[in-house]
This record gives sequence, structure tokens and C-alpha cells, in this order.
Amino acid sequence: MKLLSRDAEKTVFQMGKREKRQFLQVLGLYPRIPTAHYTISRDRSLPGFEESQRLLDEAIAELRAENQRRLKEFLAEPGRFSEGAGLIALAIPAASLEWLLQILNDVRVGSWVAVGSPMGSILGVLSAKTAPDIWAMEVAGYFEACLLEAITGENPHG
Amino acid sequence: MAATSEPPALLPGTVEVEETSSKSSLEPGYLVICWNDPVNLMPYVTHVFQKVFGWGRQKAEFHMLQVHERGSSLLTRESLEKAEHYVHQLQQYHLHATMERDE
Repeated sequence: MKLLSRDAEKTVFQMGKREKRQFLQVLGLYPRIPTAHYTISRDRSLPGFEESQRLLDEAIAELRAENQRRLKEFLAEPGRFSEGAGLIALAIPAASLEWLLQILNDVRVGSWVAVGSPMGSILGVLSAKTAPDIWAMEVAGYFEACLLEAITGENPHG
Repeated sequence: MAATSEPPALLPGTVEVEETSSKSSLEPGYLVICWNDPVNLMPYVTHVFQKVFGWGRQKAEFHMLQVHERGSSLLTRESLEKAEHYVHQLQQYHLHATMERDE
């Protein structure tokens, strides 16, 4: 995925057909992070821990429901993808760039959690069973890096 | 204004202070900590710190490197409410952040 243009209204990327398929596959996995993953504190004896945890759980549940609704709308929006000469242009409104970054990172982190949250190399847990999760993690990371490059103007690929 | 014949309960210049064993939720007694994980991209973490705290690039990168190299970084010391707010914001971005008591 290549950055084509960016202005105050929208950012446009160019992608191939295969990339578009992968992009949609990854977004189709949202939400991926298990709800139990979110913890307000490591110290369960923190004053008001239960209440604080409940507030966090509620905030995450609301956010997920809203994100799922927004994601459907985002993908169904006419003009989101425009095709021509074997290439596809993906137009992302300025207000959605940051949000899409969060969606992709949910898939990346959730896929990592799905293979057991390994602290070492991801290749250490590679197997036929974990391959789809590792694929999702890496592909979500690739699209994240493309968005970050557009946002910050720097190339996270190095 | 009506005068009173009763003596004042406290001498002038003295203030009665009630001692409490725990810190008030309004005191900056809560630490917001970000913990390391191998999954969040380093530029992403820097970006999130900039967005959530409004930090400049240099400060955000400093904390990101602390997380990466030391395993955690103390991001800010706040009241309970503010600490909760920041943890919610950071977790919205899926960073591993928690609030802990400042012992």
C-alpha cells in the first residue's frame, strides 16, 4: 500500500487487488482482543479497584459496539475504494485515520494474545494452528505502518 | 450582626486538620505506567503518547524507549480520576497501561 496523497480532508492510498483482499480480511477480524485483556491496575487491592475495573469494562464494551457500527459504515461508503487499471485507490477521511489505526492495532494485539502473548520471537510459536493468527498480526502491522507513515510523515518500515 | 457570648471553639491562627490514612482521590497519588510488550510497534507507541498526553516527539520517544528497554515507564502521576482517564485512553489504543498507587 502506497501513499498517493494527503490533504486536510482525506488521505488516499494505492493498493493492489490482493492487498485490498488482505485489508478487508484483517478488518473483518475486529474485535480481536479478549475483554479480559484490559486491566485497570495490577494491584487488585487498589482503593475502588472493582468500580474502576467496571468503568473500564463498560467503556471498552461501548467503544467496541460503536467501532463495529462505524467499521461497517466505513467499508460500505461509496467511493471508499475506486478501481482502475488493476490498481485500487483507498480514500480515508482525515477524521477516520486515527480511528482506523486503533482498529488495526486491535487486530494485531488480539492476534498476538490468541497465540499465547509470547514475549519472545513470534516464530517460536509458529505452527499450522497459529499461522493464521500470526498472519493476521503481521498483516495488520503492515497496514498500521502504512497509516503511521501517512500520519507522521516518517517511514516506520525503516 | 448579632454578637455571641460563647468562646470560639479554636484559637485564632490554628486550624484543625483531620488525618486520613489513605490518599484522597483528588491527590496526585496514582501513577500511570505503560508496560512493555513485543507487539505494539515502537513508532505507534510514540505516536500514542503524543496524542494522549500532547507531548512533543522527543519526550514521547524517551518514554517509548524506557518501556522498550526497562520494561515499563512511569508516564504521569495524577489524581484517581485523571489516572483512570489516561489508562482508558491508552487502552483504547491497546497499549498495556495500568494505574498503580504511589506508595
